[in-house]
Amino acid sequence: MSTEELLVRVDQTRCVGTGQCARTAPDDLALGPNGRAYPRNPHATDRDLLTEAAELCPVEALSVHLAATGEQIAPAD
Amino acid sequence: MTVEQSQAPAGGPLIPLHCLLHAEPGPPRLAALPTGTPVWVVTRHADVRQALTDPRLDRASLYAPDAPQVTLVPNLLDAPDTLLNIDGPEHQALRRTVQRAFTPRAIERWRPWVASVVEDLLDGVAAAGSPADVVATFTRPLPVQVISRLMGLDNHDLSRLSHWSDHALSATAYTAEEIQQAMQEFGAFGYQLVTERRKAPGDDLVSSLVLAADETGGATEMQLTMLVIGLVVAGHETTMTTLGNALVYLLDENREGWARIGADPAAAVQATEQALRTIPLGDRSTAPGLLRRANADLEIGGVTIPAGSVVAADPSSANHDPAVYPEGIDLFAPLGTPSLTFGAGPHHCLGAWLARMELELGLHGLARRFPELRLTEPTDRITWRTGLLTRSPLTLGVAW
Repeated sequence: MSTEELLVRVDQTRCVGTGQCARTAPDDLALGPNGRAYPRNPHATDRDLLTEAAELCPVEALSVHLAATGEQIAPAD
Repeated sequence: MTVEQSQAPAGGPLIPLHCLLHAEPGPPRLAALPTGTPVWVVTRHADVRQALTDPRLDRASLYAPDAPQVTLVPNLLDAPDTLLNIDGPEHQALRRTVQRAFTPRAIERWRPWVASVVEDLLDGVAAAGSPADVVATFTRPLPVQVISRLMGLDNHDLSRLSHWSDHALSATAYTAEEIQQAMQEFGAFGYQLVTERRKAPGDDLVSSLVLAADETGGATEMQLTMLVIGLVVAGHETTMTTLGNALVYLLDENREGWARIGADPAAAVQATEQALRTIPLGDRSTAPGLLRRANADLEIGGVTIPAGSVVAADPSSANHDPAVYPEGIDLFAPLGTPSLTFGAGPHHCLGAWLARMELELGLHGLARRFPELRLTEPTDRITWRTGLLTRSPLTLGVAW
C-alpha cells in the first residue's frame, strides 16, 4: 500500500502557514515565500507521514488523495 | 466564581470594543512600547501575515539576555519555556504533542457536549428570570465549564482557577508581587495535576497530553505544567471576552442580526467569523500588536527591519485592511480571506476551533431562546473589566 501514488492538495486560502506539515513531511511539503504551504512533488508516496501532516494541520488546509481515483484518504472523515 | 474588579481609569466612559478606531493600514512604522522600547508596528493584512509566518521573526528572542524590556509588569505570557515563547523544532515537537486534541475534527466531537452546556446555562437564565446579568449567568460560565470538563477539573475549586487566570493576563490590575505569588500557586496546581493524571489517567485533555508527551518525549515536565495552566487561562479569558463584546454590539446596534442568528445556526457560524474579525479583544494598551523580535535583517512591506528589532503585528488593523475587507460589519457576508484574529504561522491559536464552536453555539442558543433580549442600560454605562490584556463587560444587564 505504501507505494501507491498520492496527490497532496493545499488550500492556500485556508493555509495560515503554521509549518506543521512541512516539518512533518519535509520531502513532500514546504512553505513558500508567501508563507503558505505547497506540495513539492506532483505525486508522493509516504502515506504515513502525509496522513499525519494532514491530520496535524490546525486549519485543515491540507488533504491527501489517491492519485488513481482521487479518493481522499486524509484527513479521515 | 469571582472576578476581581480593578480600578477603572479616570476620565469618562470607555467606548465599546466594536467602536474602537483602528490604525490606518500602511507600511511598518516606528513607535514605542509603554516601556519605552522602540517597536515596528505592522498593520497591513499581508504584512501582518508575513510577520507572523516569517521564521526571522520569533518569540524566544524577545526574552534573550540582550532583549529590551517589552512589558512593564511581566505576566504568564512572558514566562520562558512555554509553547508561546519557544520556536523552531523545539516548538514543533511540543505543538505536535497538543495539536491532535485541537484539530477541527477533534473539537467537533465535543459539539453535542458544548451544546448541552449552553442549553443548561440557558435553562438557568430563563428560570432566574428577567432582568439578568448575562456575564455572570452565561458568558463567563460557558467557557469555564467547557474547559473544566475538557480538562477534568469539575471537582476543583473553579473560583481559584478564575483568580489565577485573571492574574495570568494582568496588565496593570495587579502588582508584580501579586502576579508572581498567583503564578507560583498556579504552577504548583498545574504540576500536581500533571502528576495525578500520570498516575491515574482519565479520558480528559490533561491525561491525553501527559500520555502523548511521555510517549514522544516531546515536552519537559515544566513545559507540560505550563501547557496545562495555559489551557486553563485560555479557556477562561478570550472566549468570554469575545462573547461579551459581541453581545454589546448585537444587542445595541444589530437587532436584525440578533434575530437571524437565533433563527439560523448557519447564520451564527458566519456571524461568529465576522465578529471575531471586527471586534478586538482589548485596547492594545500594553502593546500595539502581537510581539516578535527579528533574529536577522528582513524586509516587511518595503521597509527594512534590522536584526534585534521588536515588531508588533497588529491583527486588529489588518482585519480592517480595506485592501482585503469591505468597510463596516456585514455579519453574514462570507469572510473570503481568513482573518488574523487567531494569528498565523507556528503560533496560530491552538484553541481557535474550540473558541469558534463555543461562540457559534452560545450566540445561536441565546438568540434563539431570548429573541427579545435587550440591554438594560446604554453602553456608556457599562462597567468594564480593565487592567487586563483583554477588555470586556464586568457585568452586562439584560432584560426580555
